[in-house]
Amino acid sequence: MDGGNDWSDIPKWLMPRPGLVDREFWEGAGRGELRIQHCTTCGKHQHYPRTLCSHCGEQTLEWVTAGGDGTVYSFTVIRQNGVPPFNERLPFVVATVDLDEPGARMIAAMPQVDPADARVGMRVRAAFRRAGDEYGFVDFAAAD
Amino acid sequence: MDGEPPRAASFAAVQRGVCIVGVGLSDGPVTPELDAVMLEAQSFRRALDDAGLEKGDIQGLASAGYGGMHEVALAEYLGLTPRWLESSSVGGSSFEFHAMHAYRAIQNGDVDTVAIVYGNNQLSASGRTLGTGGGGGGRGMSLPLPMSYEFPTGLTLVGAYAMAAQRHMHEFGTKPEQLASIAVQTREHAARNPRAMYRDPITVDDVMTSRLVADPLHKLDCCVISDGGCCLVLTTEERARDLAHRPVYVRGAAGGTTHHSIAAMADMTRTAAAVSGPKAFAEAGITPADVDMFAMYDSFTYTVLVVLEDLGFAPKGEGGAFVTDNGGNLRLSGALPTNTDGGGLSCTHPGMRGLFLLCEATRQLRGEAGDSQVAGAEIAVAHGSGGWLSTQGTVVLGTEGA
Repeated sequence: MDGGNDWSDIPKWLMPRPGLVDREFWEGAGRGELRIQHCTTCGKHQHYPRTLCSHCGEQTLEWVTAGGDGTVYSFTVIRQNGVPPFNERLPFVVATVDLDEPGARMIAAMPQVDPADARVGMRVRAAFRRAGDEYGFVDFAAAD
Repeated sequence: MDGEPPRAASFAAVQRGVCIVGVGLSDGPVTPELDAVMLEAQSFRRALDDAGLEKGDIQGLASAGYGGMHEVALAEYLGLTPRWLESSSVGGSSFEFHAMHAYRAIQNGDVDTVAIVYGNNQLSASGRTLGTGGGGGGRGMSLPLPMSYEFPTGLTLVGAYAMAAQRHMHEFGTKPEQLASIAVQTREHAARNPRAMYRDPITVDDVMTSRLVADPLHKLDCCVISDGGCCLVLTTEERARDLAHRPVYVRGAAGGTTHHSIAAMADMTRTAAAVSGPKAFAEAGITPADVDMFAMYDSFTYTVLVVLEDLGFAPKGEGGAFVTDNGGNLRLSGALPTNTDGGGLSCTHPGMRGLFLLCEATRQLRGEAGDSQVAGAEIAVAHGSGGWLSTQGTVVLGTEGA
């Protein structure tokens, strides 16, 4: 396939730098868990992590582990990106994925999806990629 | 208490008419001999000359695009001591926000005469591959939220717009050929403009066979990267009557945002223009059918298509048909002549284009648009889109009688 060149080699400058709020997300991804926030007031979820709920504004957030399944809201095939290491991975698919947990949407690379196979509405599943010893990135791959 | 509070009533009673009285374009679109502030200074001087004003008349200054205090540094460079400053920095549409805020400030008596200035030598300084160098930030830079989530995916600026276009195609059956038609019609305008960067006519096939940058957007769906500067001078209706040109009136203005990063755009087929447009049109007392020409921020062909719908020129989902109907509705012969200078797609795009939109709309309403003149143009809309379809600003302009 065209896409899916080596995404495992992550240069130091691209490594996650967790802040005060989102360490749980990056460390969870390092363990192979998709950690997102759930609001106990409105019941919705959110990604990326914040200190209040972007849906209802309350600060009643708890961490939950998402199932990892989602649907592609939209995608593009990146065919030009001048920044290493992305320029060595071309072409590749980047998607906006609505997780099955209501309210949570993520942008993610889909290195294992052939550009010719990417579709709006396709079912996808989280795939974890290690970023150093502690952290990880959350990619998505086609669900079986 | 019933009804309007007394303050609001008296406030409205003192509102003054506001006019654009000076426009200045720098040299362009390729100026390796001029840096950014030189482009700003050149367009500022030309706008003063155009208006018949001196720099001492300028009481307010607005600019954006270079980080904190740029408009202050620019004031010093130009030898101004303004008492009204504005630096809303919301991407390419910043200048529609500046015009809106200047309009309100002049309307309400805070300031009489304001210059909005922007210039950038982006092409000469940075080359042609901007917009595909990553979604934000850069090597070694600390990435602010939410870019620390977006950047590691390899998404680019072009890719963000491409993702939105893809969603529109999915929901409404919009065709890449319809997007391409926007680039083709815009190039026709550029062919009439000696200042345009690319002037050779192109076909839909040319766009479709140009290199895909981020599906579904081809190279010719993307704006150019150029050098260039622009300046706009606004003042009171009363002062405008004594100046060199037929005044162009600001009739309405509004802006808004729905998101920053593209992943947070809840509906990628609907921008904040769906709010700013109707609000600005209502203030101006017009409907989309009244608009004689449209200066639209064409960062990408899709930007034009989605905002045509959001402003009500076409029903939601029918923007593709609108641009190709009637032999091409964006042509001078069409229902809505659009980007008559050749737009960002073919004429000028030095980093941010918002100010050039107001300039072209003003030229049209003055009847100074030369071979690209829309006959009898009385009402024009300049609309800026900034970031990743993030910020939208609508400004309605009209002639005195309109």
